Amino acid sequence: MRRFLERHWYAYAMVLPVVVVVGALVLYPLAQGVYFTFTDVNEASIANPVLDRPATYVGVGLRNYLNVLSGDPAYGSFWSTLARTLVWTFGCVFFHYTIGLALALLLNRPVRGRAVYRVLLMLPWAVPAFISAFAWKYLFNAKYGLVNQALGALGLPGPVWLGQSDWALVAVVIVNVWLGVPFMMVALLGGLQAIPGDLFEAAEVDGASAWQRFRHVTLPGLRSVSSTVVLLGVIWTFNMFAVVYLVTGANPNTRILVTYAFERFFSGATRDFAIASTYGVLILSVLLVFAAAHRRALRAGGEVW
Amino acid sequence: MAEVSYVKASRVYSGNPPVRAVDELSLDVPDGEFLVLVGPSGSGKSTALRMLAGLEDVDEGAIHIGGKDVTNVPPKGRDIAMVFQSYALYPHMTVAENMGFALKLRGVNKAEVRKKVEEAAGMLDLNKYLDRKPKALSGGQRQRVAMGRAIVREPSVFLMDEPLSNLDAKLRVETRANIAALQQRLGTTMIYVTHDQIEAMTMGHRVAVLKDGLLQQCDTPRALYDRPANAFVAGFMGSPAMNLKTVPLTSEGVKLDGLVVPLDRRALDRAAREGLREVTFGVRPESLALVPAHEYGMDMTVELVEELGADALVHGAVRIGNASERFVVRVDGRTPPALGNRVKVAVRGAGEIHLFHPESGLRLTD
Amino acid sequence: MARRRRLASVGLHAALGTASLIAVFPVFWVLVTSFKPDARAVGTSPRLLDESTVDNYVRVLSGEKGDFLAWFGNSVQIAALTTVLSVFLSATTGYAVSRFRFPGKRSLMLSFLVVQMFPFAVLIVPLYDILLALGLQGTSLGLVLVYCTTAVPFCTYLLKGYFDTIPTDLDEAGRVDGLSPFGVFWRLILPLARPGLAVTAFYAFLTAWGEVAFASAFLSAADGSKTLAVGLQVFVQQNRTEWGHLAAASILVAVPAVVVFYLVQRHLVAGLSAGAVKG
Repeated sequence: MRRFLERHWYAYAMVLPVVVVVGALVLYPLAQGVYFTFTDVNEASIANPVLDRPATYVGVGLRNYLNVLSGDPAYGSFWSTLARTLVWTFGCVFFHYTIGLALALLLNRPVRGRAVYRVLLMLPWAVPAFISAFAWKYLFNAKYGLVNQALGALGLPGPVWLGQSDWALVAVVIVNVWLGVPFMMVALLGGLQAIPGDLFEAAEVDGASAWQRFRHVTLPGLRSVSSTVVLLGVIWTFNMFAVVYLVTGANPNTRILVTYAFERFFSGATRDFAIASTYGVLILSVLLVFAAAHRRALRAGGEVW
Repeated sequence: MAEVSYVKASRVYSGNPPVRAVDELSLDVPDGEFLVLVGPSGSGKSTALRMLAGLEDVDEGAIHIGGKDVTNVPPKGRDIAMVFQSYALYPHMTVAENMGFALKLRGVNKAEVRKKVEEAAGMLDLNKYLDRKPKALSGGQRQRVAMGRAIVREPSVFLMDEPLSNLDAKLRVETRANIAALQQRLGTTMIYVTHDQIEAMTMGHRVAVLKDGLLQQCDTPRALYDRPANAFVAGFMGSPAMNLKTVPLTSEGVKLDGLVVPLDRRALDRAAREGLREVTFGVRPESLALVPAHEYGMDMTVELVEELGADALVHGAVRIGNASERFVVRVDGRTPPALGNRVKVAVRGAGEIHLFHPESGLRLTD
Repeated sequence: MARRRRLASVGLHAALGTASLIAVFPVFWVLVTSFKPDARAVGTSPRLLDESTVDNYVRVLSGEKGDFLAWFGNSVQIAALTTVLSVFLSATTGYAVSRFRFPGKRSLMLSFLVVQMFPFAVLIVPLYDILLALGLQGTSLGLVLVYCTTAVPFCTYLLKGYFDTIPTDLDEAGRVDGLSPFGVFWRLILPLARPGLAVTAFYAFLTAWGEVAFASAFLSAADGSKTLAVGLQVFVQQNRTEWGHLAAASILVAVPAVVVFYLVQRHLVAGLSAGAVKG
């Protein structure tokens, strides 16, 4: 034991602050959140230390899960919301990745003004999300928004973007793609720069066409960056509450799992902590399943994180 | 300045089964000696050096520097300096800062540091580069900075981990001589790791050969070359390698292609005592010679001739029993045989034959 | 050949130019709008300049629409503290994970990944209780710690990846030269990890700068202790039609973030990819 401490004490000393902070502010609330899912806790029944009011909620077993998983519209139509969440997540990540990769490839060429283009293209990343949301809401405004004015100038009908229709979902996807591309672009650009140049030269000497070089050198070279950023992208997009909520509010057409959890949490006279937490646990479960599948796929390809 | 000793020191990596990277190494290095640790990759030579530096745990046994047990002392308490294979120069510091860093950490005052750095830089011809960053230096210059960083410390032991392997061939030969001369001048104990047996032979006062974490032999280069303790050392030291063949044993000597090479009596007795019917027979390329066709010798078909200028190396096939074995002979460079020729090869003298136990590899000849 | 190359170059610039325009335009349009009076901001035939003045800025900064300067100060303080603390925490942890083998390392990294999967805002209530128990509720330190828990996991991954690209030989050379393990970290690794640290700082700063949900829950409700994001949120809800003023306030909020971005952007590619390549 002494030897063990002697050998590892500085490692532990260095991770200790994080473990303490994360333990106190993540693990404990998480445990309590999981506990909440088995109760009927809400604003009225929770213990309130400020008012010195004791807790009055009771355990309800698995009822919250059963209610949510039944797909009952009163509990957020779980299955159709999950389906929409998946469409949202994979739609966003697909465009993040493809657009990000395309821009990274362009930026990786020797082009005059590359540094300027790079700064401009990364800009959406630097703007706080609620300001981006505000900007896009303004642009998407059905009456005086520039998007519809531009469409009108082209002779196209301008839909009511942020109303009660699937156009709203399209709009938030556009906003989120705009927001998320810079991260992917930067990560993939770094990945591209890490591919040794002589691989391309070797491929060229072997007679590979530009497309074949992309297919057989670039893409495999980006495999490890790609798998990481796609995993992160999926996790972040799945839980991307800010953009959806700030652009469209509590619109059922853009409702995804995480925004519904927030609706339950924040709105209504009795803020329903139990159902919100239940949604949190279900989101976590879905993402864990995804991460496990991702990991398996990577392992089959010979890489593991 | 100090002597160094390994006392049954082992480094064991946990695993199943555990890997003994260095296995009960016992080695005494007197003060001022230039000791080379040599071996193939994975032999544990670098691990042994890093144990001495304190960068690797000593799982069993102990290590002493200058008579003091330093087994559990961190690197900074061991009064050593080390040159790394990659040089490990601090990229964010200039050459002068790199060289003076250790002194600065010890709280030596600035003027003193500057003086010592300049002294060392003078020795290594680095004065012009003191204000450059490592990035702006050539490979050879970086290597010298790494040396300088070690010298400035005035440590009691120098440790070098393949410091020449990133240099080109010509520079390597030059630097080899410079390091040896430098060590001579400073008189500081030096432990030097390399995989290159020529470096080992040319630089070390003594050479320790390791294989699979085990010390095979530690002796002067001459002794190592002339009397290798086992077949591994015999094959590892010397280039081209010694011809090592397992051959049948008779009461007179060993049988090669119908030719019986007479052996020293004592070696034969020893083999007989062990009940051996075969031995590993070793003879260096320069201990073989081409002889006229009518003389006593083995028949060899020339398969390859490597001309080195002064010498030529003749590779050829000799029949031993039913198998065809390859031998290398060092011959005069001016009159090498041609490819496909059949030549006669004989051993120059019985004293130049090495015999080893066919299983344990241990030396049988004196 | 030259002609083809020329054509390709024009195409390249056209593509990058269009993409840059799309990237910049929404923000640019807010900037344009921020100079217009509210009535002009909702005009149906928008122009770049339309009775543009700096009035909106003057009125926002003068405190007419809420104590903007106090919010600004709070945000700077909280974001700066979050940045410093997150960088410190993730750098020490990232270094330990990158360099040392110790029991529990794998589960630590895995838990960092899992932490990102849970929507923590639904745990505001238990978090509130903890902060209250620790005496941190209503203080900026409490909020800063909460932000750190969201920023640190990703930052640790990032920095671990970056540290992995720094050869361990340097650590060892440092230890032989007389540094302790902490000395190696502080005097050799941190100065060499600047690009990684820059990205980490940027990420942590953004986490804190634009966040609304935690900030409104954990800071006291007094107007003077709000952050910009919270204050502006309130402002949006109360002034739905004052697009010009909203735009001016938004630009004021965006400027510090963009400045931080500009300071670190040189390092972003190197810093981010090291983390992502290595995972």
